Amino acid sequence: MDVIIEQYFDLDIIRDNFSVVLDGFEQTLLLSGIAGALSLTWGLILALLRQLPGKAMAPVRAVTIAYIDAFRGIPLLLIMLLVSGGFGALAADGTLPESIGIPRWFGKPDPFWYGVIAITITYGAYMAEVYRAGIEAVPGGQMEAARSLGMSHRESMRYVIVPQAVRKVIPPLLNDFIALMKDTSLVSVLGFVEVVQAGRDIQSETFNSSALTLGAIFFLIFTIPLARMVDYMIARQQRRVGRGGGPVAEPAPAGAAGTGQTGGPV
Amino acid sequence: MADAVLQLEGVEKRFGALEVLRGIDLDIAKGEVVCVLGPSGSGKSTLLRCINLLEPPNGGRILLEGNEITAGRGKNPLGVDYVRRRVGMVFQQFNLFPHKSAMENVALAQQTVLGRGQKEAREKAAGLLERVGLGDKLNEYPDRLSGGQQQRVAIARALAMDPHVMLFDEVTSALDPELIKEVLDVMRELADEGMTMIVVTHEMGFARDVGDRVVFMDQGVVVEQGPARQVIENPKEERTKRFLGLVLEH
Repeated sequence: MDVIIEQYFDLDIIRDNFSVVLDGFEQTLLLSGIAGALSLTWGLILALLRQLPGKAMAPVRAVTIAYIDAFRGIPLLLIMLLVSGGFGALAADGTLPESIGIPRWFGKPDPFWYGVIAITITYGAYMAEVYRAGIEAVPGGQMEAARSLGMSHRESMRYVIVPQAVRKVIPPLLNDFIALMKDTSLVSVLGFVEVVQAGRDIQSETFNSSALTLGAIFFLIFTIPLARMVDYMIARQQRRVGRGGGPVAEPAPAGAAGTGQTGGPV
Repeated sequence: MADAVLQLEGVEKRFGALEVLRGIDLDIAKGEVVCVLGPSGSGKSTLLRCINLLEPPNGGRILLEGNEITAGRGKNPLGVDYVRRRVGMVFQQFNLFPHKSAMENVALAQQTVLGRGQKEAREKAAGLLERVGLGDKLNEYPDRLSGGQQQRVAIARALAMDPHVMLFDEVTSALDPELIKEVLDVMRELADEGMTMIVVTHEMGFARDVGDRVVFMDQGVVVEQGPARQVIENPKEERTKRFLGLVLEH
Protein backbone atom coordinates (compact mmCIF):
# COMPACT_ATOMS: atom_id res chain seq x y z
CA MET A 1 0.00 0.00 0.00
CA ASP A 2 2.75 2.38 0.94
CA VAL A 3 4.41 1.62 -2.35
CA ILE A 4 1.29 2.66 -4.20
CA ILE A 5 0.91 5.86 -2.23
CA GLU A 6 4.56 6.69 -2.77
CA GLN A 7 4.27 6.01 -6.51
CA TYR A 8 1.36 8.40 -6.99
CA PHE A 9 1.41 10.77 -4.05
CA ASP A 10 5.06 11.37 -3.17
CA LEU A 11 4.86 14.77 -1.51
CA ASP A 12 8.59 15.44 -1.90
CA ILE A 13 8.41 14.95 -5.63
CA ILE A 14 5.25 17.01 -5.85
CA ARG A 15 6.87 19.85 -3.88
CA ASP A 16 10.14 19.78 -5.83
CA ASN A 17 8.40 19.82 -9.20
CA PHE A 18 5.39 21.96 -8.40
CA SER A 19 6.49 25.00 -10.37
CA VAL A 20 7.47 22.93 -13.43
CA VAL A 21 4.09 21.23 -13.53
CA LEU A 22 2.35 24.53 -12.90
CA ASP A 23 4.24 26.08 -15.81
CA GLY A 24 3.06 23.18 -17.94
CA PHE A 25 -0.49 23.72 -16.81
CA GLU A 26 -0.25 27.38 -17.74
CA GLN A 27 0.53 26.28 -21.28
CA THR A 28 -2.46 23.92 -21.13
CA LEU A 29 -4.71 26.79 -20.12
CA LEU A 30 -3.32 29.02 -22.84
CA LEU A 31 -3.85 26.32 -25.45
CA SER A 32 -7.37 25.68 -24.17
CA GLY A 33 -8.27 29.35 -24.14
CA ILE A 34 -7.05 30.15 -27.64
CA ALA A 35 -8.21 26.91 -29.25
CA GLY A 36 -11.51 27.12 -27.35
CA ALA A 37 -12.27 30.65 -28.55
CA LEU A 38 -11.34 29.79 -32.13
CA SER A 39 -13.40 26.57 -32.06
CA LEU A 40 -16.46 28.43 -30.76
CA THR A 41 -16.16 30.96 -33.58
CA TRP A 42 -15.40 28.46 -36.32
CA GLY A 43 -18.21 26.19 -35.13
CA LEU A 44 -20.73 29.04 -35.34
CA ILE A 45 -19.53 29.97 -38.82
CA LEU A 46 -19.93 26.35 -39.94
CA ALA A 47 -23.40 26.11 -38.40
CA LEU A 48 -24.51 29.30 -40.18
CA LEU A 49 -23.10 28.12 -43.51
CA ARG A 50 -25.02 24.91 -43.05
CA GLN A 51 -28.28 26.85 -42.56
CA LEU A 52 -28.00 29.11 -45.61
CA PRO A 53 -31.32 28.98 -47.48
CA GLY A 54 -32.12 28.53 -51.14
CA LYS A 55 -31.04 26.41 -54.08
CA ALA A 56 -28.03 28.56 -54.90
CA MET A 57 -26.46 27.78 -51.53
CA ALA A 58 -26.86 24.01 -51.85
CA PRO A 59 -23.16 23.47 -52.72
CA VAL A 60 -22.09 25.50 -49.69
CA ARG A 61 -24.35 23.43 -47.47
CA ALA A 62 -23.04 20.19 -48.98
CA VAL A 63 -19.39 21.14 -48.50
CA THR A 64 -20.07 22.23 -44.92
CA ILE A 65 -21.85 18.99 -44.09
CA ALA A 66 -19.01 16.98 -45.66
CA TYR A 67 -16.47 18.92 -43.57
CA ILE A 68 -18.39 18.36 -40.35
CA ASP A 69 -18.88 14.65 -41.06
CA ALA A 70 -15.21 14.19 -41.91
CA PHE A 71 -13.64 15.95 -38.97
CA ARG A 72 -16.03 14.55 -36.40
CA GLY A 73 -14.98 11.12 -37.56
CA ILE A 74 -11.20 11.44 -37.49
CA PRO A 75 -9.19 11.21 -34.25
CA LEU A 76 -7.78 14.53 -33.11
CA LEU A 77 -4.34 12.96 -32.68
CA LEU A 78 -4.32 12.01 -36.35
CA ILE A 79 -5.32 15.55 -37.37
CA MET A 80 -2.50 16.94 -35.23
CA LEU A 81 0.02 14.71 -36.97
CA LEU A 82 -1.40 15.63 -40.38
CA VAL A 83 -1.20 19.34 -39.59
CA SER A 84 2.25 19.38 -38.00
CA GLY A 85 3.98 17.07 -40.48
CA GLY A 86 2.11 18.40 -43.49
CA PHE A 87 2.47 22.11 -42.78
CA GLY A 88 6.16 21.78 -42.04
CA ALA A 89 6.81 19.87 -45.27
CA LEU A 90 4.75 22.32 -47.34
CA ALA A 91 6.72 25.21 -45.88
CA ALA A 92 9.99 23.44 -46.62
CA ASP A 93 9.25 23.12 -50.35
CA GLY A 94 7.80 26.62 -50.54
CA THR A 95 4.13 25.74 -51.12
CA LEU A 96 3.22 27.53 -47.91
CA PRO A 97 4.99 30.68 -46.76
CA GLU A 98 7.17 29.91 -43.78
CA SER A 99 5.18 32.20 -41.48
CA ILE A 100 2.16 29.95 -41.98
CA GLY A 101 3.82 26.56 -42.53
CA ILE A 102 5.97 26.95 -39.44
CA PRO A 103 3.91 29.35 -37.31
CA ARG A 104 5.72 30.99 -34.41
CA TRP A 105 3.16 33.69 -33.70
CA PHE A 106 3.27 35.69 -30.47
CA GLY A 107 6.47 33.97 -29.36
CA LYS A 108 4.86 30.55 -29.18
CA PRO A 109 6.61 27.61 -30.87
CA ASP A 110 5.14 25.92 -33.95
CA PRO A 111 3.85 22.77 -32.16
CA PHE A 112 1.69 25.05 -30.02
CA TRP A 113 0.05 26.51 -33.14
CA TYR A 114 -0.22 23.15 -34.90
CA GLY A 115 -2.14 22.04 -31.83
CA VAL A 116 -4.38 25.10 -31.92
CA ILE A 117 -5.11 24.58 -35.63
CA ALA A 118 -5.83 20.86 -35.26
CA ILE A 119 -8.06 21.39 -32.22
CA THR A 120 -9.98 24.18 -33.99
CA ILE A 121 -10.50 22.03 -37.09
CA THR A 122 -11.87 19.16 -35.03
CA TYR A 123 -13.76 20.94 -32.27
CA GLY A 124 -15.18 23.45 -34.76
CA ALA A 125 -16.95 20.49 -36.35
CA TYR A 126 -18.25 19.23 -32.99
CA MET A 127 -19.44 22.64 -31.93
CA ALA A 128 -21.10 23.30 -35.29
CA GLU A 129 -23.39 20.39 -34.52
CA VAL A 130 -24.16 21.81 -31.09
CA TYR A 131 -25.02 25.20 -32.57
CA ARG A 132 -27.15 23.52 -35.20
CA ALA A 133 -29.16 21.76 -32.53
CA GLY A 134 -29.67 25.14 -30.87
CA ILE A 135 -30.72 26.86 -34.09
CA GLU A 136 -33.16 24.07 -34.89
CA ALA A 137 -34.60 24.27 -31.38
CA VAL A 138 -35.74 27.85 -32.00
CA PRO A 139 -39.41 27.59 -33.07
CA GLY A 140 -40.04 28.13 -36.80
CA GLY A 141 -42.43 30.96 -35.96
CA GLN A 142 -39.48 33.10 -34.88
CA MET A 143 -37.95 33.10 -38.34
CA GLU A 144 -41.37 33.70 -39.89
CA ALA A 145 -42.08 36.63 -37.61
CA ALA A 146 -38.71 38.18 -38.39
CA ARG A 147 -39.11 37.62 -42.13
CA SER A 148 -42.68 38.92 -42.11
CA LEU A 149 -41.32 42.19 -40.69
CA GLY A 150 -39.11 42.49 -43.76
CA MET A 151 -35.87 41.34 -42.17
CA SER A 152 -33.53 39.36 -44.45
CA HIS A 153 -32.43 35.82 -43.63
CA ARG A 154 -29.15 37.23 -42.41
CA GLU A 155 -30.71 39.88 -40.19
CA SER A 156 -33.17 37.34 -38.83
CA MET A 157 -30.35 34.97 -37.94
CA ARG A 158 -28.25 37.69 -36.39
CA TYR A 159 -30.85 39.45 -34.28
CA VAL A 160 -33.47 36.80 -33.63
CA ILE A 161 -32.36 33.19 -34.14
CA VAL A 162 -28.70 33.03 -33.10
CA PRO A 163 -29.08 34.94 -29.81
CA GLN A 164 -31.79 32.50 -28.74
CA ALA A 165 -29.90 29.47 -30.06
CA VAL A 166 -26.67 30.37 -28.27
CA ARG A 167 -28.46 30.70 -24.95
CA LYS A 168 -29.87 27.22 -25.37
CA VAL A 169 -26.51 25.63 -26.17
CA ILE A 170 -24.19 27.23 -23.62
CA PRO A 171 -24.26 24.11 -21.40
CA PRO A 172 -23.38 21.62 -24.16
CA LEU A 173 -20.74 24.02 -25.47
CA LEU A 174 -19.16 24.13 -22.03
CA ASN A 175 -19.18 20.34 -22.00
CA ASP A 176 -17.33 20.38 -25.29
CA PHE A 177 -14.90 22.87 -23.83
CA ILE A 178 -14.12 20.52 -20.95
CA ALA A 179 -13.37 17.78 -23.48
CA LEU A 180 -11.27 20.20 -25.51
CA MET A 181 -9.26 21.18 -22.47
CA LYS A 182 -8.40 17.56 -21.77
CA ASP A 183 -7.56 16.92 -25.41
CA THR A 184 -4.93 19.66 -25.42
CA SER A 185 -2.68 17.05 -23.79
CA LEU A 186 -2.35 15.44 -27.23
CA VAL A 187 -0.10 18.33 -28.26
CA SER A 188 2.58 16.64 -26.15
CA VAL A 189 3.17 14.20 -29.02
CA LEU A 190 4.26 17.15 -31.17
CA GLY A 191 6.99 17.94 -28.65
CA PHE A 192 5.26 20.78 -26.87
CA VAL A 193 5.64 20.79 -23.11
CA GLU A 194 2.26 21.28 -21.49
CA VAL A 195 1.17 19.77 -18.21
CA VAL A 196 1.11 16.12 -19.30
CA GLN A 197 4.47 16.29 -21.04
CA ALA A 198 5.95 18.09 -18.02
CA GLY A 199 4.70 15.28 -15.79
CA ARG A 200 6.01 12.61 -18.13
CA ASP A 201 9.47 14.18 -18.19
CA ILE A 202 9.58 14.07 -14.40
CA GLN A 203 8.18 10.53 -14.42
CA SER A 204 10.97 9.30 -16.64
CA GLU A 205 13.63 11.02 -14.53
CA THR A 206 12.35 9.85 -11.14
CA PHE A 207 10.46 6.65 -11.98
CA ASN A 208 7.66 8.17 -9.92
CA SER A 209 4.23 9.29 -11.17
CA SER A 210 3.38 11.91 -8.58
CA ALA A 211 4.03 14.82 -10.93
CA LEU A 212 1.39 13.41 -13.27
CA THR A 213 -0.97 13.11 -10.31
CA LEU A 214 -0.37 16.78 -9.65
CA GLY A 215 -1.23 17.52 -13.28
CA ALA A 216 -4.45 15.54 -12.89
CA ILE A 217 -5.32 17.59 -9.82
CA PHE A 218 -4.78 20.82 -11.75
CA PHE A 219 -7.21 19.58 -14.39
CA LEU A 220 -9.82 18.69 -11.80
CA ILE A 221 -9.59 22.13 -10.23
CA PHE A 222 -10.92 23.49 -13.51
CA THR A 223 -13.08 20.72 -14.89
CA ILE A 224 -15.16 19.90 -11.79
CA PRO A 225 -16.44 23.47 -11.26
CA LEU A 226 -17.11 23.73 -15.01
CA ALA A 227 -19.09 20.50 -14.97
CA ARG A 228 -21.04 21.70 -11.90
CA MET A 229 -21.79 24.95 -13.68
CA VAL A 230 -23.13 23.03 -16.67
CA ASP A 231 -25.41 20.99 -14.39
CA TYR A 232 -26.63 24.14 -12.70
CA MET A 233 -27.39 25.88 -15.99
CA ILE A 234 -29.23 22.87 -17.36
CA ALA A 235 -31.30 22.60 -14.19
CA ARG A 236 -32.14 26.30 -14.39
CA GLN A 237 -33.16 26.01 -18.03
CA GLN A 238 -35.41 23.07 -17.21
CA ARG A 239 -37.04 25.01 -14.41
CA ARG A 240 -37.77 27.80 -16.86
CA VAL A 241 -39.29 25.41 -19.36
CA GLY A 242 -41.29 23.84 -16.54
CA ARG A 243 -42.75 27.23 -15.73
CA GLY A 244 -43.80 27.50 -19.36
CA GLY A 245 -41.76 30.43 -20.59
CA GLY A 246 -44.46 31.89 -22.80
CA PRO A 247 -45.20 30.75 -26.31
CA VAL A 248 -41.59 29.82 -26.93
CA ALA A 249 -42.01 26.52 -25.15
CA GLU A 250 -45.18 25.69 -27.04
CA PRO A 251 -45.23 23.60 -30.19
CA ALA A 252 -46.09 25.28 -33.47
CA PRO A 253 -49.76 25.15 -34.42
CA ALA A 254 -50.72 22.18 -36.52
CA GLY A 255 -52.74 22.41 -39.67
CA ALA A 256 -52.51 23.16 -43.34
CA ALA A 257 -50.38 26.20 -42.69
CA GLY A 258 -47.35 23.94 -42.31
CA THR A 259 -44.41 24.82 -40.15
CA GLY A 260 -42.82 27.22 -42.58
CA GLN A 261 -39.56 25.29 -42.29
CA THR A 262 -39.97 23.88 -45.77
CA GLY A 263 -38.11 25.68 -48.56
CA GLY A 264 -39.75 28.80 -49.89
CA PRO A 265 -38.52 32.33 -49.39
CA VAL A 266 -38.92 32.17 -45.60
CA MET B 1 -61.61 47.67 -58.79
CA ALA B 2 -59.96 51.03 -59.14
CA ASP B 3 -58.71 51.53 -55.62
CA ALA B 4 -57.84 47.91 -54.92
CA VAL B 5 -54.90 47.50 -52.56
CA LEU B 6 -54.71 43.79 -53.17
CA GLN B 7 -55.87 41.79 -56.16
CA LEU B 8 -55.74 38.00 -56.14
CA GLU B 9 -56.31 36.26 -59.44
CA GLY B 10 -56.64 32.50 -59.49
CA VAL B 11 -54.17 31.96 -56.65
CA GLU B 12 -53.20 28.31 -56.21
CA LYS B 13 -51.07 26.60 -53.59
CA ARG B 14 -50.10 22.96 -53.31
CA PHE B 15 -48.15 21.11 -50.66
CA GLY B 16 -47.04 18.05 -52.57
CA ALA B 17 -50.20 16.34 -53.79
CA LEU B 18 -52.39 18.35 -51.43
CA GLU B 19 -54.16 21.26 -53.13
CA VAL B 20 -54.71 23.81 -50.39
CA LEU B 21 -55.77 26.75 -52.53
CA ARG B 22 -57.60 26.02 -55.78
CA GLY B 23 -57.93 29.30 -57.60
CA ILE B 24 -58.75 32.18 -55.27
CA ASP B 25 -60.01 35.45 -56.79
CA LEU B 26 -60.30 38.32 -54.37
CA ASP B 27 -60.03 42.11 -54.50
CA ILE B 28 -59.44 44.11 -51.36
CA ALA B 29 -60.17 47.84 -51.42
CA LYS B 30 -58.27 50.44 -49.48
CA GLY B 31 -59.56 50.69 -45.92
CA GLU B 32 -61.65 47.57 -46.26
CA VAL B 33 -61.87 45.00 -43.46
CA VAL B 34 -62.32 41.54 -44.91
CA CYS B 35 -62.99 38.66 -42.53
CA VAL B 36 -62.22 35.18 -43.80
CA LEU B 37 -64.22 32.36 -42.27
CA GLY B 38 -64.17 28.65 -42.87
CA PRO B 39 -63.55 25.27 -41.32
CA SER B 40 -60.02 24.28 -40.39
CA GLY B 41 -58.06 23.04 -43.36
CA SER B 42 -60.05 25.25 -45.73
CA GLY B 43 -56.89 27.19 -46.70
CA LYS B 44 -57.58 30.44 -44.82
CA SER B 45 -54.17 30.65 -43.15
CA THR B 46 -52.38 29.54 -46.30
CA LEU B 47 -54.14 32.34 -48.17
CA LEU B 48 -52.68 34.92 -45.78
CA ARG B 49 -49.26 33.31 -45.97
CA CYS B 50 -49.38 33.45 -49.75
CA ILE B 51 -50.22 37.15 -49.69
CA ASN B 52 -47.02 38.04 -47.86
CA LEU B 53 -45.12 35.31 -49.70
CA LEU B 54 -44.24 33.27 -46.61
CA GLU B 55 -45.62 30.56 -48.87
CA PRO B 56 -45.06 31.38 -52.55
CA PRO B 57 -48.18 30.54 -54.58
CA ASN B 58 -47.89 27.82 -57.22
CA GLY B 59 -50.23 29.56 -59.62
CA GLY B 60 -52.20 32.71 -60.26
CA ARG B 61 -51.21 36.31 -59.63
CA ILE B 62 -51.19 38.65 -56.68
CA LEU B 63 -51.05 42.42 -57.23
CA LEU B 64 -50.17 44.74 -54.40
CA GLU B 65 -51.20 48.33 -55.14
CA GLY B 66 -51.20 47.48 -58.82
CA ASN B 67 -47.77 45.83 -58.88
CA GLU B 68 -47.52 42.12 -59.44
CA ILE B 69 -45.62 40.47 -56.60
CA THR B 70 -45.82 36.90 -57.84
CA ALA B 71 -44.20 37.18 -61.24
CA GLY B 72 -42.19 34.09 -62.07
CA ARG B 73 -42.72 32.25 -58.80
CA GLY B 74 -39.85 33.04 -56.46
CA LYS B 75 -38.35 35.49 -58.96
CA ASN B 76 -40.51 38.39 -57.93
CA PRO B 77 -38.82 41.45 -59.47
CA LEU B 78 -39.85 43.60 -56.51
CA GLY B 79 -38.51 41.11 -53.98
CA VAL B 80 -40.15 39.66 -50.91
CA ASP B 81 -38.93 42.58 -48.86
CA TYR B 82 -41.01 44.97 -50.98
CA VAL B 83 -44.07 42.98 -50.04
CA ARG B 84 -43.27 42.51 -46.39
CA ARG B 85 -42.54 46.15 -45.78
CA ARG B 86 -46.04 46.95 -46.95
CA VAL B 87 -47.91 43.98 -45.53
CA GLY B 88 -47.88 43.40 -41.77
CA MET B 89 -48.76 40.05 -40.27
CA VAL B 90 -49.88 38.94 -36.83
CA PHE B 91 -49.74 35.24 -35.95
CA GLN B 92 -51.85 32.90 -33.87
CA GLN B 93 -48.86 32.08 -31.65
CA PHE B 94 -47.73 35.72 -31.27
CA ASN B 95 -44.12 34.80 -32.12
CA LEU B 96 -42.66 37.60 -30.04
CA PHE B 97 -38.88 37.54 -29.71
CA PRO B 98 -38.47 36.10 -26.19
CA HIS B 99 -35.01 37.55 -25.63
CA LYS B 100 -36.17 41.10 -26.25
CA SER B 101 -38.39 43.41 -24.22
CA ALA B 102 -41.74 44.63 -25.54
CA MET B 103 -40.09 47.87 -26.60
CA GLU B 104 -37.21 46.07 -28.33
CA ASN B 105 -39.63 43.74 -30.10
CA VAL B 106 -41.36 46.73 -31.65
CA ALA B 107 -38.16 48.68 -32.34
CA LEU B 108 -35.94 45.95 -33.84
CA ALA B 109 -37.20 45.77 -37.43
CA GLN B 110 -37.65 49.54 -37.58
CA GLN B 111 -33.92 49.84 -37.07
CA THR B 112 -32.72 46.92 -39.20
CA VAL B 113 -35.23 47.17 -42.06
CA LEU B 114 -36.30 50.81 -42.19
CA GLY B 115 -32.98 52.19 -40.97
CA ARG B 116 -34.54 54.32 -38.27
CA GLY B 117 -32.26 55.50 -35.50
CA GLN B 118 -32.59 53.92 -32.08
CA LYS B 119 -34.17 57.00 -30.55
CA GLU B 120 -36.76 57.36 -33.28
CA ALA B 121 -37.54 53.63 -33.28
CA ARG B 122 -37.98 53.57 -29.53
CA GLU B 123 -40.19 56.64 -29.50
CA LYS B 124 -42.37 55.11 -32.17
CA ALA B 125 -42.42 51.80 -30.25
CA ALA B 126 -43.41 53.53 -27.02
CA GLY B 127 -46.20 55.39 -28.82
CA LEU B 128 -47.58 52.23 -30.40
CA LEU B 129 -47.41 50.23 -27.17
CA GLU B 130 -49.24 53.09 -25.48
CA ARG B 131 -51.86 52.90 -28.19
CA VAL B 132 -52.46 49.16 -27.64
CA GLY B 133 -52.75 49.80 -23.91
CA LEU B 134 -49.31 48.62 -22.84
CA GLY B 135 -47.65 51.92 -22.03
CA ASP B 136 -46.70 50.53 -18.62
CA LYS B 137 -45.09 47.35 -20.00
CA LEU B 138 -42.41 48.81 -22.26
CA ASN B 139 -39.54 47.00 -20.59
CA GLU B 140 -41.26 43.71 -19.78
CA TYR B 141 -40.11 40.53 -21.49
CA PRO B 142 -42.67 38.37 -23.29
CA ASP B 143 -42.65 35.62 -20.65
CA ARG B 144 -43.88 38.17 -18.12
CA LEU B 145 -46.86 39.16 -20.29
CA SER B 146 -50.23 37.44 -20.65
CA GLY B 147 -51.25 36.01 -24.01
CA GLY B 148 -53.46 38.99 -24.72
CA GLN B 149 -50.69 41.41 -23.86
CA GLN B 150 -48.23 39.50 -26.01
CA GLN B 151 -50.60 39.57 -28.93
CA ARG B 152 -51.05 43.33 -28.55
CA VAL B 153 -47.26 43.75 -28.59
CA ALA B 154 -47.24 41.67 -31.78
CA ILE B 155 -49.81 43.99 -33.34
CA ALA B 156 -47.75 47.03 -32.33
CA ARG B 157 -44.67 45.35 -33.80
CA ALA B 158 -46.38 44.91 -37.16
CA LEU B 159 -47.80 48.46 -37.10
CA ALA B 160 -44.35 49.90 -36.44
CA MET B 161 -43.43 49.15 -40.04
CA ASP B 162 -46.23 51.45 -41.29
CA PRO B 163 -47.88 48.67 -43.29
CA HIS B 164 -50.46 49.41 -45.95
CA VAL B 165 -52.27 46.15 -45.25
CA MET B 166 -52.48 44.08 -42.07
CA LEU B 167 -53.02 40.31 -42.05
CA PHE B 168 -54.40 38.66 -38.90
CA ASP B 169 -54.09 34.88 -38.75
CA GLU B 170 -56.46 33.55 -36.07
CA VAL B 171 -54.88 35.93 -33.62
CA THR B 172 -57.28 35.14 -30.77
CA SER B 173 -57.39 31.37 -31.18
CA ALA B 174 -54.55 30.70 -28.73
CA LEU B 175 -55.95 33.06 -26.09
CA ASP B 176 -57.95 32.35 -22.96
CA PRO B 177 -61.53 33.58 -23.42
CA GLU B 178 -61.16 36.51 -21.03
CA LEU B 179 -58.17 37.85 -22.98
CA ILE B 180 -59.81 37.81 -26.40
CA LYS B 181 -61.69 41.08 -26.02
CA GLU B 182 -58.64 43.24 -25.35
CA VAL B 183 -57.08 42.05 -28.61
CA LEU B 184 -60.28 42.44 -30.62
CA ASP B 185 -60.72 45.95 -29.23
CA VAL B 186 -57.32 46.94 -30.59
CA MET B 187 -58.25 45.49 -33.97
CA ARG B 188 -61.58 47.28 -33.94
CA GLU B 189 -59.84 50.60 -33.32
CA LEU B 190 -57.44 49.88 -36.12
CA ALA B 191 -60.36 49.19 -38.45
CA ASP B 192 -62.03 52.43 -37.38
CA GLU B 193 -58.87 54.32 -38.27
CA GLY B 194 -59.13 53.04 -41.82
CA MET B 195 -56.49 50.28 -41.90
CA THR B 196 -56.92 47.75 -44.68
CA MET B 197 -57.23 44.41 -42.92
CA ILE B 198 -57.65 40.76 -43.80
CA VAL B 199 -58.74 38.87 -40.73
CA VAL B 200 -58.88 35.08 -40.53
CA THR B 201 -61.02 34.46 -37.51
CA HIS B 202 -63.57 32.31 -35.72
CA GLU B 203 -64.97 35.32 -33.87
CA MET B 204 -68.37 35.66 -35.56
CA GLY B 205 -69.32 38.71 -33.55
CA PHE B 206 -66.19 40.55 -34.64
CA ALA B 207 -66.69 39.51 -38.25
CA ARG B 208 -70.30 40.69 -38.23
CA ASP B 209 -69.73 44.00 -36.46
CA VAL B 210 -66.32 45.07 -37.72
CA GLY B 211 -65.99 43.31 -41.04
CA ASP B 212 -67.06 45.17 -44.17
CA ARG B 213 -67.11 41.93 -46.02
CA VAL B 214 -67.04 38.28 -45.11
CA VAL B 215 -65.41 35.65 -47.29
CA PHE B 216 -66.36 32.06 -46.59
CA MET B 217 -63.81 29.48 -47.72
CA ASP B 218 -63.97 25.72 -47.85
CA GLN B 219 -61.62 23.19 -49.43
CA GLY B 220 -59.42 25.80 -51.01
CA VAL B 221 -62.08 27.85 -52.78
CA VAL B 222 -64.20 30.89 -51.94
CA VAL B 223 -67.68 29.48 -51.47
CA GLU B 224 -69.49 32.71 -50.75
CA GLN B 225 -68.73 36.35 -50.04
CA GLY B 226 -70.66 39.49 -49.40
CA PRO B 227 -71.44 42.18 -46.85
CA ALA B 228 -70.54 40.83 -43.42
CA ARG B 229 -73.94 40.97 -41.82
CA GLN B 230 -75.67 39.46 -44.83
CA VAL B 231 -73.34 36.46 -45.14
CA ILE B 232 -73.44 35.66 -41.45
CA GLU B 233 -77.16 36.20 -40.91
CA ASN B 234 -78.49 35.11 -44.32
CA PRO B 235 -75.95 32.86 -46.03
CA LYS B 236 -76.98 31.71 -49.50
CA GLU B 237 -74.81 28.64 -49.89
CA GLU B 238 -75.59 25.36 -48.21
CA ARG B 239 -71.99 24.86 -47.02
CA THR B 240 -71.91 28.30 -45.43
CA LYS B 241 -75.18 27.62 -43.65
CA ARG B 242 -73.92 24.32 -42.33
CA PHE B 243 -70.66 25.84 -41.07
CA LEU B 244 -72.35 28.82 -39.45
CA GLY B 245 -74.93 26.52 -37.92
CA LEU B 246 -72.20 24.50 -36.25
CA VAL B 247 -70.30 27.56 -35.09
CA LEU B 248 -73.23 29.61 -33.84
CA GLU B 249 -74.85 26.71 -31.98
CA HIS B 250 -72.72 27.29 -28.94
